[in-house]
Amino acid sequence: MMMKRPKRLAPVTMIGSQRLGVRQPPNVVLRQRLGELGWRESFRRALPALAFVGLLGWAVDLRPAAFSYTGLTLLLSAAVPLALAAVSQMFIIMLGDIDLGIGYFVGVTNVVAAVVLPRHPVAGCGLLALFVVGYMVQGALVEIRKIPAIIVTLGASFVWLGAGLLLLPIPGGKEPTWLGSIYAAQPPVLPLPILIAVILAIVTYGISFGLPYSSVMRGAGGNALAVQRSGWSLLRVRVTIYGLAGVFGVLAGIAVTGVTASGDVNASSNYTLLAIAAVILGGGEFSGGLAVPVGTVLGAFTISLVGSVLALLNVSSNYQTGAQGLILLLVLAGRAVTRRRTS
Amino acid sequence: MIRLAPQRIRAGMRAQTWIWSYLAVFVIWLVITAVSGRGLVGTMEAALGIVPFLILVSIGQMFIITLGNGHIDLSIPYVMTLAAFVAAKLMYGPGGSIWIGFLVAMGCGLAVAVINLVGIVILAIPPIVATLAAGLLAASAGFVEAGSFSAAASPAVRNFVVADLAGVSVLAIACIALSIVAALVLSRTRYGRSVQAIGQNVRAATLAGVPVLWVIVGAYVVSAVLAALSGVLLGAFTGTSLGLGDPYLLTSIAVVVLGGSLIAGGSSNVQGIWGGALFLTLIITLLNVLHLNVAVQDIVEGVVIIAVLSMVGNKVEA
Repeated sequence: MMMKRPKRLAPVTMIGSQRLGVRQPPNVVLRQRLGELGWRESFRRALPALAFVGLLGWAVDLRPAAFSYTGLTLLLSAAVPLALAAVSQMFIIMLGDIDLGIGYFVGVTNVVAAVVLPRHPVAGCGLLALFVVGYMVQGALVEIRKIPAIIVTLGASFVWLGAGLLLLPIPGGKEPTWLGSIYAAQPPVLPLPILIAVILAIVTYGISFGLPYSSVMRGAGGNALAVQRSGWSLLRVRVTIYGLAGVFGVLAGIAVTGVTASGDVNASSNYTLLAIAAVILGGGEFSGGLAVPVGTVLGAFTISLVGSVLALLNVSSNYQTGAQGLILLLVLAGRAVTRRRTS
Repeated sequence: MIRLAPQRIRAGMRAQTWIWSYLAVFVIWLVITAVSGRGLVGTMEAALGIVPFLILVSIGQMFIITLGNGHIDLSIPYVMTLAAFVAAKLMYGPGGSIWIGFLVAMGCGLAVAVINLVGIVILAIPPIVATLAAGLLAASAGFVEAGSFSAAASPAVRNFVVADLAGVSVLAIACIALSIVAALVLSRTRYGRSVQAIGQNVRAATLAGVPVLWVIVGAYVVSAVLAALSGVLLGAFTGTSLGLGDPYLLTSIAVVVLGGSLIAGGSSNVQGIWGGALFLTLIITLLNVLHLNVAVQDIVEGVVIIAVLSMVGNKVEA
């Protein structure tokens, strides 16, 4: 017989996690945080924003025309899909897992959006819903059978790749008309990519911190045993989070279709590492328990800018893959150097 | 060394895993024979011809996974591809030399191992990410090599790869010998025991005086060198191409885990690797024999690996 769960969670201190689950008024929290943090930690927290601004400055320096409404739209539009994929990865990393299949998942949802959605919208939506269920199944397998997420997601990546190739062996397709009109939109003041990024950050922040269930979700990554002993079902948490990750992955694939107006299952294959890099750059920790919504979105935009800067510098695309790996190493090196010395 | 009772029980449970894999191999072997009409012996000979590449990288992956503590090598496929290109280029033509090709290819593997180790040991980056990042650097190098590539596979190496002794691939026999050596190293030598000790409890191992750092260095070097070797041989066999090593990432991990080595580390199972590798190779052969679309093959492979691992479960201590 299950106990009725209180709507508001009682304060829970989670061992090993950096955040207390106690609710306090925002201004108190802010003052506490700024007081606690030394320059080292503040730098670490500000890193994603600093990196973004720095790279944006570099890009504008290389091409001054970029600093305009249309310029920024063009420069940053390719960052939106990566930001969505990075948010998906963030949820998984928040659990302490890792998702090695997000690249091909975005690819297959891109294919579905480009091939199935335009002509058979209902079937397309059903297929995408099925993919999200597929993600939830992965979460269930990780929890029930204790298979490491790395293997499950890696195996799933084969399934996504195969499915994508089945639906669309050679790149092609076109974007659905409604998606095209969204992407042609010209909102006032903020270029569309930035607007989407802001909305994404707000929504992700809301999911990560605003819901009653949020602390359970973050707690499952920080101290699963404590959460379980408090009566929450870890299986439900995992399945929910993997489902969320699947939803954002689907959105990322749709966004790719919007940006490229075509489908190609292989086009987003590097999103796996880039999404991980974005989450880490944004302040996420592999040990889990930490949600970094704003940092992740900023991190994704920063990494996307790296690609743009490399292109502006006329660096051969051969080196781009290596540059991405190098950046990931540098980011993590920087974090290792500024890490708080905990025992 | 005292064998504790729980350890023996766990070892017994794990032994089941690799026995299942051999049973599964037997079943699929029969199925393929029935479908392909090539005969029992012919099917196994063909499988033995291509399994060595997987065995080589799986042995390396096994050393690393046995280290536990999140250790895994995701740079293997990129090392394979890079080594294949470098070796083929250096072995090509009258000015080429097979030995130099091999040595430089191993050197490339060594270089990637160094990057892995810098990330993992010096920068304390989790191995998943460190090896992935290093792998991407290797991939870039591979792209650059492929771009300037105009050599064909070395015929001498290819002859070695396809050579057989009374039908059984010479390479397979060499791999069996290497597996025996690996098993002996893991169970009889101090190094091998150290690897397992680190996987079981790194703190206890450190306190016991195990040179953790050097053991880790050794494991990643072994993995990278084996991956480079496998890449060179595979490149000579099928011809060099980008993405040569890509299928070997998932399969190497799956083989190690299917074979009964704990993904958490601390225990390795070499005979299980053969069971797992043969199983996966035969599955792929079966899919080929059924003339399934490559895309469907990918899906089936992913599903099979996940399904088998789900059924087998993971004997993790509570």
